Amino acid sequence: MAGWGRDGGVTRRTVIGALAVAGGAVTLRLPVPAVAAEVPLGQNEPLDAALKRVFGGRPMKDGAGMIKLDIPLIAENGAVVPVSVEVNAPMTPQSYVKSIYIVADKNRIPIVTRVSLTPASGQAYMGANIRLGETTDVRAIVEQSDGTLFALKREVKVTVGGCGG
Amino acid sequence: MSDVGKVRLRVPASIKAGDVIRVRCLVIHPMERIERDKAGKIIDKKYQYIDTVTVTYLGKTVATFDTTQSVSENPFFAFAVKATDPGKLTVAFHDTHGQKYEGSVDIAFS
Repeated sequence: MAGWGRDGGVTRRTVIGALAVAGGAVTLRLPVPAVAAEVPLGQNEPLDAALKRVFGGRPMKDGAGMIKLDIPLIAENGAVVPVSVEVNAPMTPQSYVKSIYIVADKNRIPIVTRVSLTPASGQAYMGANIRLGETTDVRAIVEQSDGTLFALKREVKVTVGGCGG
Repeated sequence: MSDVGKVRLRVPASIKAGDVIRVRCLVIHPMERIERDKAGKIIDKKYQYIDTVTVTYLGKTVATFDTTQSVSENPFFAFAVKATDPGKLTVAFHDTHGQKYEGSVDIAFS
């Protein structure tokens, strides 16, 4: 059942049916971003605010040796920058990589994407094409299923910015 | 712009049972960026961009991408899946205007 609200397929029936339960839950949930998975991402904000909002100031360990962040050193066109992240970590139901975040420090919307994975992935890997507004550090932040955070960053030189605005 | 919503999916040509395969997908979509007026103020409108990508394999959600406007136009995504059984792999894209685009591929062993 696609009753998760975010898919936009909320019918009147699901609204009425869930009003008593979910209505209360939604109003409660909004001001308390306790779980990262429920925090909205695409906001126009500086990096510090974004990291604080999404990760709540939790400490991040150095992910060198564990995270493989593949991104060009020089991106001629900031509108399309291929990035891929591979995490050297087991994907078992007991311990797996829950999410991979891509963060571009100087973008107006710093949090580019979040990938939520399940053990069925078999391997913690993601790739995407992202926009970079200017020369910036790009971070890969990995969240394990137990909540531990690992981060790795790399500078990318951008010749022509791709964020506009 | 009639191509908007076209989804292309790529899986390896030969897959063995139990392999971890990498799937690449691409969707034609404008991924509108924030626009500003002459004074530099953000124009307030509902920008159309993909905000969720859901990967389903054998009826189960394997991975979800939550994306923002910092993702390129005609976005490309890649992910890994453990091919346990032959079956359908579906990638569904959802954008802020409520549009849904879907592409699927049959995973078959050779």
